[in-house]
Amino acid sequence: MPAMTWRLFSTVVVSWALIGPALHAQTRNPYEDNPDAILAGMGGYRVRCADCHGTDGRGVRGPDITTVWSTGRSDEGLFNTIRRGVPNTEMPAFAAPRASDRDIWQMLAYLKTLAAPAPTDPPRGNAENGAKLFRTLCAACHKANGTGGRLGPDLSRIGTGRSRDVLLARIRRGSEDFRAGFEPVTVTTADGATVQGVKKNEDLFSVQIMDNRERIQGYEKDKAKAVENGKKSAMPVFGPDRLSDSDLDDLLKYLQTLRGFDPTVKQQ
Amino acid sequence: MMRIFPVLAVCFLLAGVTIAQQAPPALVSIQEVAQGLPADGSRWLTFGGNYSNHRHSPLTQITPANVSRLKPLWTFQTATLGNFETTSLVRDNVLYVTGPQNVAWAIDARTGRQIWRYRRELPQGLTACCGLVNRGFGVLGDRLFMTTLDAHLIALDIKTGSVVWDATLEDYKTGHSSTIAPLVVKDKVIVGAAGGEYGIRAFIDAYDAQTGKRAWRFYTIPGPGEPGNNTWAGESWKTGGASVWVTGAYDPEQNLLMYGIGNPGPDYHSESRKGDNLYSNAIVALDADTGKLKWHYQFTPHDVHDWDATEVPILADLPINGETRKVVMFANRNGFYYTLDRTTGKIIVAKPFVITTWAKEIGADGRPVLIPGHTPDEKGEVTCPDLTGGTNFWQPSFDPSTRTFFVNAREVCMTFISWKPTYTPGERFTGGSGQRVKPSESPAWGALRAIDPATAALKWEFKFLSPSTSGILTTASGLLFSGDSDGNLLALDSRSGKLLWRYQMGAPLHGTSPTTYIIDGRQHLLVPAGTTLTAWAIE
Repeated sequence: MPAMTWRLFSTVVVSWALIGPALHAQTRNPYEDNPDAILAGMGGYRVRCADCHGTDGRGVRGPDITTVWSTGRSDEGLFNTIRRGVPNTEMPAFAAPRASDRDIWQMLAYLKTLAAPAPTDPPRGNAENGAKLFRTLCAACHKANGTGGRLGPDLSRIGTGRSRDVLLARIRRGSEDFRAGFEPVTVTTADGATVQGVKKNEDLFSVQIMDNRERIQGYEKDKAKAVENGKKSAMPVFGPDRLSDSDLDDLLKYLQTLRGFDPTVKQQ
Repeated sequence: MMRIFPVLAVCFLLAGVTIAQQAPPALVSIQEVAQGLPADGSRWLTFGGNYSNHRHSPLTQITPANVSRLKPLWTFQTATLGNFETTSLVRDNVLYVTGPQNVAWAIDARTGRQIWRYRRELPQGLTACCGLVNRGFGVLGDRLFMTTLDAHLIALDIKTGSVVWDATLEDYKTGHSSTIAPLVVKDKVIVGAAGGEYGIRAFIDAYDAQTGKRAWRFYTIPGPGEPGNNTWAGESWKTGGASVWVTGAYDPEQNLLMYGIGNPGPDYHSESRKGDNLYSNAIVALDADTGKLKWHYQFTPHDVHDWDATEVPILADLPINGETRKVVMFANRNGFYYTLDRTTGKIIVAKPFVITTWAKEIGADGRPVLIPGHTPDEKGEVTCPDLTGGTNFWQPSFDPSTRTFFVNAREVCMTFISWKPTYTPGERFTGGSGQRVKPSESPAWGALRAIDPATAALKWEFKFLSPSTSGILTTASGLLFSGDSDGNLLALDSRSGKLLWRYQMGAPLHGTSPTTYIIDGRQHLLVPAGTTLTAWAIE
């Protein structure tokens, strides 16, 4: 081995010895919330990812990747997905030296700004009271940490996926766009019975719904008297008359604490 | 006895030599390929059924009256990731099928059982754009021809699936790929290069079917000194894309190939490549013997919305305004339907077949009359259709008896955003992206539309909840087979658009259509959906 090569080799080995274990143990993004890294990550994201995943990360040719954290993926898992790609799909591997570790972490830091709550959220509100309000007002339809209803989305990770502003707007003003799987629908069956619920799937000939009693069931359209899509979300609007500003702060504070539910049974 | 044995052995050896020296019969003649779909239903040998790409079968056993009695005969599963986009070939009761990941099969058309399987070992780090798919075999003699994701063209022994020759189109490491179904014309195999999102300079190639040697190459972006090179500012022609990934048509009378060409690169960044950017987003007519350009028509000069003109051209002779015109029909990703004179490339009819917000009309000079405000920038602009387009590579069909053009159309808008890109060989080079428009602002839907090619008028439509990406097959009995995006296989009355029969396949027909042929006197319908092929017949 020539001297220069040996020197280079030993440098690499020493560097790896210093950096390798640190990276291996790394589970959180070291560049998270770093403004310079986020800016650099935006550049990398736009060149490498946006073409398929969209400039807003919500998917064009490829899937929506703004919800990856709220569905339970870890920083390290996402790093590995980018580094190794997804075999036998169009998701390429961003191998070194084409993409350095820092490049990938920076892109993830930027992506998290598209997905995560804004760091400027005001620190007001009482989460404990918010939890009580949640049980009273929300839990009939929404699950959090393993308890609650199924008609609405599971909110166990909502704190990682939605900003305070977005949550506030959703509670106070509702939304015109229904989340897929939760569009309101009413089926009138052949015998005249009315079944209300949320739509889980639909094609030209059938609709699959969860009704208000959480029964999941499919209906063939040509055998039903009517299938009507609701124009308003099943999620009620909570104006100041139903939820005071103070209680809203408490509820939002509680929702922001919801950052993942571990379903593993813990032995006592 | 001792004496007899050597005599017998010598006889046997001689006979063996004689058998070995006899040339095996040419299995598929060029006359069969050129004939298209025969009335006896015994063959389907080219991508579009015939050189005109009609995808219209003369078979009449399955009719509007009995289609509801279709029953599945067998289902074949690929056991690979990825979905079919292939058009299967059939001859002598055997199907020849290409699948995702460059796997291919010969399958007993009676039972769905595999006869042989070919699998190409693909290199690590493949950057094949867009989808690890393949659109089908070409065939001549005892050879099948298949393009590969690592940008090769291979010839397989039709009886064993073993490789006869392997020709390299270009280096896959620079982003070149190939997914197109080869078209066999005379003694040549016509293919093209994909990779328009990777800054390639694409081409259409012809290879000698016997030897695998390249006979000619037509670069879809003219080089310095060639007409059209000045439609690319500066050095932008070198990385301009203009890929070729959907099989064209062939007009034997004029000896002309007609192929649709892909988008210019970088896809969305206008400033990077000022000019019309020929022959991106054009249809080119090439002499099949030499590859020389005879005419071209550019649907979308200086495209900034990724509207490849890689849709399927369909040829026919049509009575228009009292005279018979030799036309090529083309429903384009940019939202306009065109009927062109295929001897000159001049427009006869051009009208939108979906909502289009970027151009008011196609002017008398053949150029679109642009509506301002539809060049993407950092802030973004909303344009209809979206980047996937008014239609795309999924196959239309043409029924000559009613002179109707059928296409699956999309009604979708998108916010296009652009920024200046940097070219790195083998990396994506698009200069932008898009964002979906909220459904509450602009719902996305689709329809299967029947169009009169003489006027571009709509005859009927069958609406979908969301846009279909399925190809279309029509038959002489008045049936139309296609699919929706939810996995429903549909049979419609091709004259009225009325739904006659449906079956939930479990996956949509994406970028491919059913085909049909006769096995043992019974008409079969072959349906590629997801990772399955299912054969159907009337019980």
